[in-house]
Amino acid sequence: MTDFQFSEEQRDCLQELVNVAMGLASDKLARYLNTLVHLQVPAIKLVKTEQLPEHFADRHQQQSVTMISLGFFGDQGLRGETIMLYQLENVGVIAKLLGYSDDDSSEAEMLTDISSVLTTTFLNGLAEQLDNSFSYAAPRILSSRDKHFAEKLASTAEQWQLALQVDIRYQLTDYSFNCDMILLIPGEAVLRLRLILDQILASF
Amino acid sequence: MQLDWLLQPLLAQLNTGVLVLNDQHQIVFFNQFIARRADKRLEHTQGQLVYDVFDDLPRAWLQRKLDGVLSLQAPAFSSWEQRQYILKLPHLRPLSSDSLYMAQNCTMLPLTAPDGVSNYVCMLIEDATDAYVYQLQLQQSMAQLELANRTDGLTGVYNRRYWQQQLGYEVARAVRYQHSLALLLFDLDKFKQLNDQYGHQGGDAVLVELSAVIGALLRDTDLLGRYGGEEFGVVLPETDLQGAVLVANRICKAVAEHQLLFNGQTLSVTVSIGVSSYKGQTADELIQQADMALYNAKRQGRNRVVAWQEPAEVYLKQVK
Repeated sequence: MTDFQFSEEQRDCLQELVNVAMGLASDKLARYLNTLVHLQVPAIKLVKTEQLPEHFADRHQQQSVTMISLGFFGDQGLRGETIMLYQLENVGVIAKLLGYSDDDSSEAEMLTDISSVLTTTFLNGLAEQLDNSFSYAAPRILSSRDKHFAEKLASTAEQWQLALQVDIRYQLTDYSFNCDMILLIPGEAVLRLRLILDQILASF
Repeated sequence: MQLDWLLQPLLAQLNTGVLVLNDQHQIVFFNQFIARRADKRLEHTQGQLVYDVFDDLPRAWLQRKLDGVLSLQAPAFSSWEQRQYILKLPHLRPLSSDSLYMAQNCTMLPLTAPDGVSNYVCMLIEDATDAYVYQLQLQQSMAQLELANRTDGLTGVYNRRYWQQQLGYEVARAVRYQHSLALLLFDLDKFKQLNDQYGHQGGDAVLVELSAVIGALLRDTDLLGRYGGEEFGVVLPETDLQGAVLVANRICKAVAEHQLLFNGQTLSVTVSIGVSSYKGQTADELIQQADMALYNAKRQGRNRVVAWQEPAEVYLKQVK
């Protein structure tokens, strides 16, 4: 069986790239939203996909969670899926922030919009760091107002070999909210990512 | 190899709408997919605001989306499931669909010109009418199945399983909100005789007609269900015992006065009704008590209403 583990240097390097990507994302979001956006330095964690459902079921106990998936494809076989997890009580706050109040957008529409804004700004930054560029599939809502999100997460995670958990906390002047982002990456892409990380490490 | 010649014919024949706007949301380009369906010519509309060229665009929404794509340089998406269409375009399935306009998936991509400064948004519009129509048919089938799943095939009132489930919910609501709740169980008197005399078709016709007569006497929130062969139940939310007895008497009287026609003959039937009301019992206990009251109504000579009362010995014990 192939080993998908990262060395300590590779992990640190990835953390650094994620930090920079987050910084780029918060800068762009701040300009877009016209308010100060502070994205905390995200803690990344590599999670075995079979442990994912349990892990997130613990984190979001007793709360309704919405899961939104967005696929991304880059050059050189780098591809994967991001999953955003929101507490539903946050939805109103996020919606207000993005200026949704003046029209008839549905909750589902707001959620997919928000997710694609948050994930693509971050992923574009990450792609830049990796000397790559990503294209994206349309976001899909995997579950909404649904208590069994862990099951859905399990069936989604099954096809992936590595999950990179990125905890994001968005803090704005007037609002703050948390959401989880999970990057799911298939085995070949993990190997590819490790090669790229090694190249970056070698050039320092 | 020079590939520039490919672009024009490809865009012209592409089965996807391509609409390019500049950073002022003015039209730069659209392909034939859009030109033909919208009956617009590019040379007549180039440089105009997209909102002025296409009628009924969701303006506030689209502006926000386009500004997002331009300032974040990240793509945006719209799905027919959330917004059926953005551009009002006809579709090619006039017969199989009751929707007038093409359902669309839309991707909005940021583009930068070779000068590195001018920014554009490319809107790709895909026809999702097929998916939309299938989804609609699926929803209709689901609704029909759901209805069939809770309806008694003969009489059209709720079937026993669904009715009992609803009774359970109503009891839970009565507990939580301290509402009153009452239950009627009634039974057609001498139904066996009716069946023997007029055949099962006669019996069935009586059940169907009486269900309609009784249903018309109830409020929208009352739940009429077929409990067994000729036995029916009514759940009366937010009704106390007194109110329930009133309703029961009205039903009893209406049925007795109703003239049924079957094969040219006039039949008259009567019902006996047992009433119970919620005082902390379970759903099963409520049914049991109404059933006991119904039994007493039969024993006391039928065509009457009897409310359940606590047995005398319990009553005596309480007095002591």
